[in-house]
Amino acid sequence: MAQAAAEPYDFTKQTMHTKERGLWGQAFQRLARNRLALASGIVLVVIAVLAVLSELGTPVQHHDPAVPDFQSIKSGPSSTYWLGTDGLGRDLWARLMQGTLFSLKLGVFTQLFVLVIGISVGMGAALGGKRGDGVLMWFTDLAYAFPDLLAIILMRQVLFGRGWPIVGDGNPQIPGFGGVFLVTVIAIGLVAWVTVARLVRGQMLQIKQQDYVLAAQATGASPWRVVRYHMLPNTLSAIIVATTFGIPLAIFAEAALSFIGLGVPPPDASLGSLIGSGQGNIQTNSIELIWPAAMVAILMLCFTFLGDGLRDALDPRTRK
Amino acid sequence: MFAYTIRRVLAIIPLVVAVATITFLLMNAVEGGPFDSDRPLSEATRKNLEKKYGLDDPFAVRYVKYIWNLAHGDLGVSLTNDREVRTIITERMQVSIQLGLATFLFATTVGLTLGSLAALNQNGAGDYAGVFVATAGAALPSFVLAPILQIIFSVKLGWFTVLASDYGFTQWFRGDFSNWQQIILPTLSLGFLSMAFVARITRAAMLEVLRQDYIRTAWAKGMRQRQVLLRHAAKNALIPVLTILGPIFAGLVVGSFIVETAFGIPGVGQLFVRSVLIRDYEVIMGVTVFFTVVIAVMNLVVDLLYAVVDPRIRL
Repeated sequence: MAQAAAEPYDFTKQTMHTKERGLWGQAFQRLARNRLALASGIVLVVIAVLAVLSELGTPVQHHDPAVPDFQSIKSGPSSTYWLGTDGLGRDLWARLMQGTLFSLKLGVFTQLFVLVIGISVGMGAALGGKRGDGVLMWFTDLAYAFPDLLAIILMRQVLFGRGWPIVGDGNPQIPGFGGVFLVTVIAIGLVAWVTVARLVRGQMLQIKQQDYVLAAQATGASPWRVVRYHMLPNTLSAIIVATTFGIPLAIFAEAALSFIGLGVPPPDASLGSLIGSGQGNIQTNSIELIWPAAMVAILMLCFTFLGDGLRDALDPRTRK
Repeated sequence: MFAYTIRRVLAIIPLVVAVATITFLLMNAVEGGPFDSDRPLSEATRKNLEKKYGLDDPFAVRYVKYIWNLAHGDLGVSLTNDREVRTIITERMQVSIQLGLATFLFATTVGLTLGSLAALNQNGAGDYAGVFVATAGAALPSFVLAPILQIIFSVKLGWFTVLASDYGFTQWFRGDFSNWQQIILPTLSLGFLSMAFVARITRAAMLEVLRQDYIRTAWAKGMRQRQVLLRHAAKNALIPVLTILGPIFAGLVVGSFIVETAFGIPGVGQLFVRSVLIRDYEVIMGVTVFFTVVIAVMNLVVDLLYAVVDPRIRL
């Protein structure tokens, strides 16, 4: 009886292969393992989707945020008005979603604006020699001596109430991105870019000394190629983390301005102006204030946790 | 150290000139002015008002005048009530300084205590409580905390008044402390964020210090717990905490805009917000320059404190 020879292991079968993951795949995997960060990300996405759906109308929104119902002023939560109504009988859910959308949109677009200025100036300072560096450092020192909110208020004061098209009261306006919105974005962005520029400069100066940059130069890569393919991608993780922390800061700045009456004028609403108008009614309808306050707290917490998670996921030094 | 201090004090001057120039330029670029109202003024009245305040001079003349006056400590005259900006700020500052001091004391003492307790019970119940408070602090900016505190303690419980009425703050300077309750809610809302920040930094610094060899040596020598913790650990853990005092001061200034408005406290922050709303440019510029000087001096004080706390740092 012939003994069957042990069959040699077939290495061509793919049983031994693990799934290949790139840098971003690994980072995402680490992020997904951080349950707090993942949950925060999911909450943020849900809130954003709800806010956008509300803007589009049904089915998450039954009432127009601008239309008052004088029959039910300051009514508590009910099946018609999920979160109750305000002093004019406007639906608080619709108002909350309107404010949330405004604040989220503002945070994201301010950061886009900040990224464009911050990355270009930071790169210019790091690569452009002494003079550019000196100018940036001067700005940085000035920003250090000047409280953010104070500078934003002054900027807003300069830009506000102009008859300019697109970024003013004039025509044409971009639908969904009104003049007031864009002015606020620019005012906050013009103050906030310094942080990103400093970060990019620091990173670039550090990366410039690395061996792989030298190697790239030695193989004859053009300066543009070195920056584009070797240096910029390596600053990306720091920039992503800074952006995640920057969004709530922009939301915070705008909400603070709106709260003290220097933000968006009605009929627009942001979370800050909702809190501000809610404060006027705390004796009679305190619920009006609680929803936007809770929303701000949730947004702040989620962005902080997500930022922490991203930093841990993207920072190669903490990698095990 | 003396030479360093002199150099730093002198460096404040160009900074103030730069800030004054930028603010002056910005305020000149603003659309509309303090004399715009719902009822338009007649041409003659407007001309007279502009002449009175020197607003009809050419730009360069006004700028040189402004800087020249600034050099003499003159911040100009308010365009809405004819009082000297310097007098108004001095008056309001008496109020703001009380709130600022109370908040600073609250933020540092509570923050240091919470942070140290959390570090000493690492991963214990106290640690989780401390971390929870620090995280909550980050999620509760003053404009959220102020109205929530008002709802809980003023509206529901009725312990305090919603607004700081009767100018309670101004009476304290004259020794009348009967309105002491009025400072509690504003202090909490203004200081919570800073307190959480201090607690977080203290916890991290303490954990780092407690791992050091010299702490083990101190224990090994048989020193008492209080001596190890206060003399060896706390002193070294204070240094990183000092680095954030500068940003905390700036935070107090900015926070005063919000908190003083929310509680109706007649301080410099409220003055600034009001001036922006009614476009009183002289006051806006005056307060901006004033805040710049305050923050620059505070940053200098913090830097000098490093040298005092850490003998390795020589200035």
